[in-house]
Amino acid sequence: MRRRRRDDARRSGPVLAGLGLLAAALAAELAWAGWSAPETRTRLEGERALVGALGLSDTALFTEARYTRHPSLADLNTPFQDHPGGFDHFPSASIVPVPALPESGRLWFAGEEEPS
Amino acid sequence: MTPWLRRQRALADYTLAALARRRGKNAALVAVYALVVFALASAMFFAAALRHETTQVLQDAPEITVQKILMGRQDLVPAATVEKIAGIRGVTRAEGRLWGYFYDRTNGANYTVMVPGDKAMEPPAGSVALGEGIPRARGFTWDGAPLFLSRFEGDLQKFEVVRTFTRASGLMTSDLVLMNGADFRAFFGIPEGLYTDVVARVRNPREVDTVVAKAGALMPEMRFVTRAAIQRSYQKLFSWREGLLAALIGAAVLAFVIFAAEKASGLSAEETREIGILKAVGWDTRDIIAMKLWEGALVSGGAFLIGTVAGFAHVFFFGGTLFAPVLKGWAVLYPEFDLAPQVDGVQLLSLALLTTLPYVAATLVPIWRTASADPDAVMR
Amino acid sequence: MIALQSVGKLYNEGRPNEVTALSDIDLSIARGAVTVLKGPSGSGKTTLLSIMACMARPTTGRVSLEGEVVSGLPERFQTRLRRDTFGFIFQRFNLIRGLTVLENVMLPAAPTGEAHGTVRARAMAQLEALGMAHKAATAVEYLSGGEAQRAAIARALINDPVVLIADEPTANLDSALSERFLDIVRAERAAGRTMVITSHDPRIWEADCVDTVVSMRDGRLLEGVR
Repeated sequence: MRRRRRDDARRSGPVLAGLGLLAAALAAELAWAGWSAPETRTRLEGERALVGALGLSDTALFTEARYTRHPSLADLNTPFQDHPGGFDHFPSASIVPVPALPESGRLWFAGEEEPS
Repeated sequence: MTPWLRRQRALADYTLAALARRRGKNAALVAVYALVVFALASAMFFAAALRHETTQVLQDAPEITVQKILMGRQDLVPAATVEKIAGIRGVTRAEGRLWGYFYDRTNGANYTVMVPGDKAMEPPAGSVALGEGIPRARGFTWDGAPLFLSRFEGDLQKFEVVRTFTRASGLMTSDLVLMNGADFRAFFGIPEGLYTDVVARVRNPREVDTVVAKAGALMPEMRFVTRAAIQRSYQKLFSWREGLLAALIGAAVLAFVIFAAEKASGLSAEETREIGILKAVGWDTRDIIAMKLWEGALVSGGAFLIGTVAGFAHVFFFGGTLFAPVLKGWAVLYPEFDLAPQVDGVQLLSLALLTTLPYVAATLVPIWRTASADPDAVMR
Repeated sequence: MIALQSVGKLYNEGRPNEVTALSDIDLSIARGAVTVLKGPSGSGKTTLLSIMACMARPTTGRVSLEGEVVSGLPERFQTRLRRDTFGFIFQRFNLIRGLTVLENVMLPAAPTGEAHGTVRARAMAQLEALGMAHKAATAVEYLSGGEAQRAAIARALINDPVVLIADEPTANLDSALSERFLDIVRAERAAGRTMVITSHDPRIWEADCVDTVVSMRDGRLLEGVR
């Protein structure tokens, strides 16, 4: 295909201008993130206060999974129980290892050891 | 403009002319590359926003949650336990929490029904406060529509809605039904003196493990979950999901790697001859290498910028709709919430370097030898 | 101006396909003169031109430019020399596909860091002098043989070199275009440019504008004529 271009048009002109524009767009986006930080902080602080007042311990994500809605709630002995009527299936958090829980029980014998 | 800058611009002109020869292929290359960066950047921004919000917001969650385990399942906690826990040294406050899941048969969603810890936030009798997800899930068409809950066949409980939380706190409150204490006990049939679990606040975060150890010794039938453990779970969860998304775009990554490998595998006869011609007309090795650097930088830099700008916009202006299900998880009641614009500088820099450096190296490596050879040898 | 002393060139040294392209060449090119190297194909003319223009290094011997030995210089200096002192017109023109005529002509000036406008003006002037200005924006794939040669000549002249070297310039041209080429040689000679041309076309070496004819065979010089 025959193509004629203006003699004095430099190829790098539009391309560098385009890249410059993109770089400016990225800078603008990052600036926006910084500029909206106070607003975000206010919202998060409000949310945090709400969490404290209500006594919530988990987020509202994965509401269908008993233990991901409340990781505090997972039945340690029930694998993959995600939904009251659901079949066992690949759950939201099966690959994430359960965080090491501090010791939840200790057996001792009266007379030999006393709980401190 | 200094001579050096002019020289760079002239080299860039040539590079673009050379790239324009295979216009379609190079355009496809940049497009696939940008797509890969877009997906990675989206996942990165989304996960970072979730991690940030979760960490910040859970800071005031109770330090320790105590659950009673009976026959392997969670059981209701007697009030006496609350006193026992409050008596442990280091615990500033312990209170029984009343909450539970309600499975709504009409839409298959789980609601978290709860009595607020702060008495001032308890709704009056016969009314509830709802999270933003419930009106949506139930299809409420008008403000002030009451909530009807049915526990079993033939049962219908009506509650007035006094407050609906907004999406500003959606991440935490989306599925909540806040109820009056008396209403809650009546609704679930839980007698006085029993609680779902106990939450304890510990003044000094470093003491939490000690308190848990003591409490565990005191009450072996109880299970203790710390706030730190929950936060860690979330960090890991979002990171894992971020990685899952990256794996899902593996096909695009693979396509790209194939493109790049083909470039790096060596020069075609035409490219070799071209370098010979350039050397013959007076370009030295540095000029050839600078020209190739331009090629690598223009393609990878361009792809990085396009992908990152688009990814940022996609996540923070459009809610990450393309990838949200992977990152937020599956649910019947899908929480809607604003994402906190949070940019992790280190991650962004890593993405930039990962995007540009390998590609530039792949473009540069095959020409090294040709660029430094005598033009005569190259052109024959 | 250019002096070659005992220059020899060996390709693939030490290997089974070793070939001696040149042996024991002693040659002087005078400033402002038009020298023609004639000889059958395979006699080493192209190799000799390459070495003269600092595009290849001699295996033995030296090349001097205005008394300074240049054949041993590092690559960077040789390149700069090549760019500023020599203009090379290849047998097959070696224009870069995909670029326009103007872009090809401006190519040797790209690394110099000169202002784009200045170089462009010079390039257009060269093209006009050669009657190619109207083709400046055409991609080189679409040029005829004669047009391509003139584009190659313009490219060779962009940096105003002292020496113009042409390798078999009329090999792919008809007699009318060959005569046009000789006109260009005459014009450049009048402007004082030194030229070295290889050819096995008698029209070239018998032309009136040629000062010296040197014969080559099998990598060696035969006694000069004229």
